[in-house]
Amino acid sequence: MRPGLSLPMLLRRSLLHRRSRTLAELLSLTVSAAVATALLTLYASLDLKLHHQFRAFGANIVITSQNPGQALPLDALAIASQAAGPDSRVVPFAYAIAQMQNGSSIVVAGTDLTGVRAMNSWWQVSHWPQPKEGVPLQVLTGARAEKALGAKRFSLTYNGKTVPLQTVGTVRSGDAEDSRIYLPLEAFVSWTGVTPTTLEVQAAGNTQQIQAVLTRLRQALPSSDVQAVHQLIEAEANIVSRTRSLMLSSLVLISLTVAICVLATLTASVLERRRDFAVMKALGATQHHVRLLFLLEAIVLAMAGLLGGYVLGCGIAYLIGEWNFHTAIFPLWRIVPQVALLNLMVAVLAAAIPLRILSHLEPATLLRGE
Amino acid sequence: MFPRLIMESFVRQRRRKLLAALAILLGTTAVTAMLAIGTSVGDKMNRELAAYGANIVVYPAADTLDVQVGGINIRPATAGSYLQEATLVKIKNIFWRNNVTDISPELPLTVTVKTTNMTQQAPATGYWFHHTMRSGDTSAAESWTMGAPALHPWWKLQGSWPSDTGNATSNEIAIGTTLARQLNLHLDDTLEVQNQSVRVAGIVSTGDPTDRTLLVPLALAQAWMGRPGAVRRVYVSALTKPEDVLARKNPDKLSPKMRDRWYCSPYANSIAYQIEETLPHTRAEQIRRIAQGESTILSRISGLMLLVALAALLAAGLAVAASMTTAIVERRQEIGLMRALGATRATIAGLFFTEITLLALGGGLLGYLLGSLLAARIGEQVFGSSIAFNPMLLPATLLLAVVVSLAGSAPSIWQAMHTEPATVLRADA
Repeated sequence: MRPGLSLPMLLRRSLLHRRSRTLAELLSLTVSAAVATALLTLYASLDLKLHHQFRAFGANIVITSQNPGQALPLDALAIASQAAGPDSRVVPFAYAIAQMQNGSSIVVAGTDLTGVRAMNSWWQVSHWPQPKEGVPLQVLTGARAEKALGAKRFSLTYNGKTVPLQTVGTVRSGDAEDSRIYLPLEAFVSWTGVTPTTLEVQAAGNTQQIQAVLTRLRQALPSSDVQAVHQLIEAEANIVSRTRSLMLSSLVLISLTVAICVLATLTASVLERRRDFAVMKALGATQHHVRLLFLLEAIVLAMAGLLGGYVLGCGIAYLIGEWNFHTAIFPLWRIVPQVALLNLMVAVLAAAIPLRILSHLEPATLLRGE
Repeated sequence: MFPRLIMESFVRQRRRKLLAALAILLGTTAVTAMLAIGTSVGDKMNRELAAYGANIVVYPAADTLDVQVGGINIRPATAGSYLQEATLVKIKNIFWRNNVTDISPELPLTVTVKTTNMTQQAPATGYWFHHTMRSGDTSAAESWTMGAPALHPWWKLQGSWPSDTGNATSNEIAIGTTLARQLNLHLDDTLEVQNQSVRVAGIVSTGDPTDRTLLVPLALAQAWMGRPGAVRRVYVSALTKPEDVLARKNPDKLSPKMRDRWYCSPYANSIAYQIEETLPHTRAEQIRRIAQGESTILSRISGLMLLVALAALLAAGLAVAASMTTAIVERRQEIGLMRALGATRATIAGLFFTEITLLALGGGLLGYLLGSLLAARIGEQVFGSSIAFNPMLLPATLLLAVVVSLAGSAPSIWQAMHTEPATVLRADA
């Protein structure tokens, strides 16, 4: 090799000389990196995003007194909120059975209406009452209760104390809520003197995190009955794990396919260069030198592909997050080594396989024959 | 001449053709598998979501208000009206009958429980456990086994469910774990309920107020109440479609055409509507907590898989296009030679495009078969049930394979055709 003809220069010439072929190879490697990046990012953020969706089912932990119907300690709400942590939501409920004017019973519930609104997204509410003092009290009435009451303004009696109430909104849930009347907790307590009997907790996170919240709540409120809503937690774990395995299968399938496709393209491209190979060897380059040049080419292309592919892949993951989960999925640095490894493996294999085949052939044979 | 040229090209350049075909094959395999998964994941997940239990409740239209606190209904048993157990089979006759996976009637009551050392009142509920429901009396009638255990997969049972003979002769009951502890009852113990001796066949842990109740065969509860055939409410689990704008419309205010569309979509609302139609004097409603939550999860997961399938489509398309580009770049000399020998551009383009179309069709067909097999396998692994071959995907896959292959090779062919033959032939690139 001539002294002035350094390896970087050779490399540059080699890449720039066959521009369309280099571009096709670069495109392939970019695509493989982009696919791997997008899928790995999605897969890594999947747990968080999915578990967040499951909050649509509302409270997953219920705290009651150990004797049914008995009020919880007055400081239970503060203790539970503290123990559950900032990501969780705790909403108190107090119930009383009041009498309508015709003498039949109706369940009245006092609660934190703002908290309920955030937690029970499935409630179909025509209008939420604003927490406002005054007479008559503004309440949220269940769809069936409204029909039974017959009028917007009515009064209810509890323990001999009659208060005038006014329905400002209707709630429909298809469940027990439809037969109840909801009013702000303070107004409820000052009317009935009944304090909360139930705390509903919407714990965030995956199954382990919910279990941790459950344990903390049990320790903080040893005299209360802290129960996980099995119905929600079991189904959630099952569905998340199935979605994860589905994503993993997709990830392996797609990455592998694209990698093999790229490998085939690159291999063909290197095989086509048998003449370059032969000329180099005929001019006195050692096996080692030629191999180094081809490998370096592959590595440079793989790294360039990684750069573009990572950006592209993060973009795809971000868009999928926006469209599907309505929250962004942000780039993760920790997947870079995995993507880089995949790309390098593909590129180096694509260079190494044909080189092995060619190294057994004499330059003269290669140059003479097509 | 033209067919011979094509045939020769395939016979003589086997290795190159194989590589291009391999790329197309792999690309279509991945795309077919992903599309098959993406389009069937909604159906599969829907079945998993059934684990949340009932999404529709049916109760008598004339019913009084529930007086329910902490899961226990303290409305007097005499108040309100009832549904008839015998009419429930009609729910399996509605338009979306095959989407109705479980029907579970309930009859709550309060009973007197007497054990060896105490007597007390306890809430009890009559259920179907493994009730056989028949669509008619003929031998051709369909039959289904339905009941509460299937509707509440999170109920943990120790022992066995009470035998469900459909008449009041059964003397087996199940008991909630909290109540069992309170009464100091164990499996196979006997106790007296409403002066009738019964055996504890199972102890149930539910994690909710049901833990404080007796779970008894429906017929037994009806006999204790003196109301044969009566049911307080019915819970229905149905496979539904995520709610969209149309689902929330009131069907009676829609145009006839839109109403048909509403009626023939398996929304929770339209299934409830059909149940009301078939059972007069009832109200059927979606249990919004479950139905809405399921709707959210279902649309997110199917949306995710469809987007991933689309991304796969794009990636496979680009990978195949890149392989085709390389394949043509290699054949520039061939094009140059043809041009030098006097072939027109149209002939060359025709020759190459025919070749590539044939390759794409062959690779695409094989890829479709492989992809479908792969999807079936993944379905088996993840959901325990196979994903069926979707013939609709075949034309789509083939079309995609042809379009992508042609699009990938067109620029290189065009470039090669517009270069001077002499330049191409001289350059030994």
